[in-house]
Amino acid sequence: MNIFGRFFRSMIAGPLAALLLVIVIVSLTTDRFLTTENLINVSLQVSTVAIAAIGSTLVILTGGIDLSPGSAVALVSCVLAILVKEMGFTLPAGIIATLILGVGLGLFNGLLSTYGRIPSFVVTLATLGAFRGLAFLITEGHPIFSVSPHLEGIFYGDVVGIPLPFIYMLVFYVFSAIFLRNTRRGRAIYSVGGNETAAYLSGIHVNRTRLLAFVFAGFTAAIAGVLLSARLNSGSPNYGVGLELAAIAAAVIGGTSLTGGYGNIVATLFGALTVAVVQNGLNLNAVPAAWQNITLGFIILLAVGLDMWRGDIGKGFSHVFASESKLD
Amino acid sequence: MTVAGEIDLKGLCRIDMMTNNSQTPLWELRGVSKQFPGVQALDDVSMSIIEGEVHALVGENGSGKSTLVKCLAGVHQAEKGQLLYKGEVVELPHPIVAREHGVATIYQEFSLVPTLTVAENIFLGRQLRRSGLGGIDWKEMQRQTAEITDQLSIAIDPAVIIRDLSVAEQQLIEIVKAISADSTLLIMDEPTAALGLSETQRLHELIRQLADQGKAILYVSHRLDEVFQIADHISVLKDGRQVGDQPIETLEPKDVIKMIVGFDIAQHYPKEENATDEIRLEVKNISTETGVRDVSFEVRKGEVFGLGGMVGSKRTEIALGLFGFHRLTEGEVWLDGEKVEFSSPLDAIQGGIGLVPENRKADGLFFNFEAPQNITSSRLNGLMKGMFLSLSEEYRVGKEYVGKLNITPTAMEKSVQYLSGGNQQKVVIARWLYSQAKMLIFDEPTQGIDIGAKVEVYQVINELTANGISVLLISSDYPELLAMSDRIAIIRDGQILQISPAKELSEYQLMSITSGAD
Repeated sequence: MNIFGRFFRSMIAGPLAALLLVIVIVSLTTDRFLTTENLINVSLQVSTVAIAAIGSTLVILTGGIDLSPGSAVALVSCVLAILVKEMGFTLPAGIIATLILGVGLGLFNGLLSTYGRIPSFVVTLATLGAFRGLAFLITEGHPIFSVSPHLEGIFYGDVVGIPLPFIYMLVFYVFSAIFLRNTRRGRAIYSVGGNETAAYLSGIHVNRTRLLAFVFAGFTAAIAGVLLSARLNSGSPNYGVGLELAAIAAAVIGGTSLTGGYGNIVATLFGALTVAVVQNGLNLNAVPAAWQNITLGFIILLAVGLDMWRGDIGKGFSHVFASESKLD
Repeated sequence: MTVAGEIDLKGLCRIDMMTNNSQTPLWELRGVSKQFPGVQALDDVSMSIIEGEVHALVGENGSGKSTLVKCLAGVHQAEKGQLLYKGEVVELPHPIVAREHGVATIYQEFSLVPTLTVAENIFLGRQLRRSGLGGIDWKEMQRQTAEITDQLSIAIDPAVIIRDLSVAEQQLIEIVKAISADSTLLIMDEPTAALGLSETQRLHELIRQLADQGKAILYVSHRLDEVFQIADHISVLKDGRQVGDQPIETLEPKDVIKMIVGFDIAQHYPKEENATDEIRLEVKNISTETGVRDVSFEVRKGEVFGLGGMVGSKRTEIALGLFGFHRLTEGEVWLDGEKVEFSSPLDAIQGGIGLVPENRKADGLFFNFEAPQNITSSRLNGLMKGMFLSLSEEYRVGKEYVGKLNITPTAMEKSVQYLSGGNQQKVVIARWLYSQAKMLIFDEPTQGIDIGAKVEVYQVINELTANGISVLLISSDYPELLAMSDRIAIIRDGQILQISPAKELSEYQLMSITSGAD
């Protein structure tokens, strides 16, 4: 099998191709895309979703689904605001507390979905409502502004010109990639998603593995929540609406199979970037907001379609190259 | 053509058929052959099924029984030969066509919808309509259902929901369903596998009643004692060929067993005698909720201990109990002189036991992985370099075992779902070799794999025992079981009937004890 065939069949090829394709298309439609200012904008825009997408990917890899990250983001932003602005916590303490909250939310989702034996779709559908409801409860429905003078720095700072959120995103992705590829727990996530019974019969703790994925998801949602709060220096029960769908879309466009066991975290990053680039392109071209959802839908279809058909595409390429060599 | 000696009504009908007089058989197979990749499932089979007759179909696993049933049910189509319905050649390209010809098949897995009522199930897909507005006529459906159940003395209310019925009752409803669709041939596949003694009795009475009403019954079963109770005629299949086709009165159980067992093409079983005297596993009076009852045995180091029995004898349940998959409600297990309690497969694996499961695709293989990841799955600790898994070590391990077990090299790069059955099985076995198990349980290890791979599996078993590893071998392939085991426990209904050295048993004896024919 020639190199082009294998390349097409690797998990990253499809999403990377999609990303490069949209970058090319968008650059052709406007010359404002490939500017430093705009690229910084895009990286800021994508970081929140991309980080939340890590958690979503992990859960989907184990064969579950998490519909609650958006609502968790809202709750986390409100709790952070209340702790720091109204209860006098220092910013670092407040952030640590909300990260622990995120872990707790993930634990809640996870325990019910594993030992509680309720399907994760149902559990996280419920917490989708409940977490945001809690956020409304504790803030009495109002956003809380001007949380802390130091908060914005977390989002708007930079290191040698690279925006901090971009760096956070890269760090989390590197960590997650190593976790999934080179640790036993990470391998267990793929095993459980691939064949739960075979995993159990191989001595893997199925419930613990699933639980870990949900805890991760809660943690990454909390990070996304802190970042969003930092960006706007406020907490609001209205933040993060639709975040879960964007995160799942990033994972799916990145080739993660909703049935579990198949996926690649780097490809998810490409998926998130693809979505961000397209949205940016639409904005730069002053396309009405309504089109954004339609385009997003089409991207998902195209990406998954490419995924389904890539085997055939790979074979097609190898036929072309094989027949060429016969002409020598 | 005349026949001297005793003449009875059934015999006359059959003779009439043979002289092409008044009665043609309801169904006839002539020279039917069916091939699957690598396997000749049916080879020139001819038989007749007569109305009003209970025709038994017997043979070992893999003899072609289920293929024959599926040909009559329209699921498979034979490449050669003909199917005749009432004397005319027909083709059954689809189960619906078979149904239109009056064939009803009752498989071991029922086709009832558990959440609907009896009447709804009976009329599934052909609900009766009221005239006028055309809504469903529930009342008439219930009435017709009740008519049939009364006629057959089945005391089940048509309004009861299926999942509230016992397995035996559900089976009766399957039969009612077949009757109400005016089926003329009822095919029953292992109908008593899940039934108790009195329920079996009830079923047999019902079958007799149906036969007296003129239905034809094809009764597929392992259980010779039942076959001799209920059948009028018997056909025996072996390796896809028909080796027996006669009225039941002309035979005794031992004759049938001889036909089933047959003369084996001498298969080369490379058995090595490696059993030592040291005891590795002691099983003391274990029972489980899954039907294992008071089972005790010992396995020595380097020994192959075989578990022989029919489908439903609970051999797999014994294995799962030992592996920590099912809880032991009673009894103890001792491994290498120490008492062990395995509450999960992880405990068993850490204790040094491995399991090659019966259904490798569903329970043994990760289709999202290639061979190396499948092989290392139960001992990832062996790959650790510091805090991390070494993928290069995993690749090396994969190559090592692919070489050792002669697995096709493409397994290194492609998902194991693309491998042949034999290669897939070798990957699963490689996993347990890598896990350094002290005892391996093999559940039907050579099922569905080609002869070359089978021999390789036997050689692996030899190598294991040569290294002092114990093997628990569950197999429905009696020649294999007899050849590769040192001792065999004969199991029926979750209990051990006897334990004997394999050399002292014959295939005939095994068959006869497990089928209840003695």
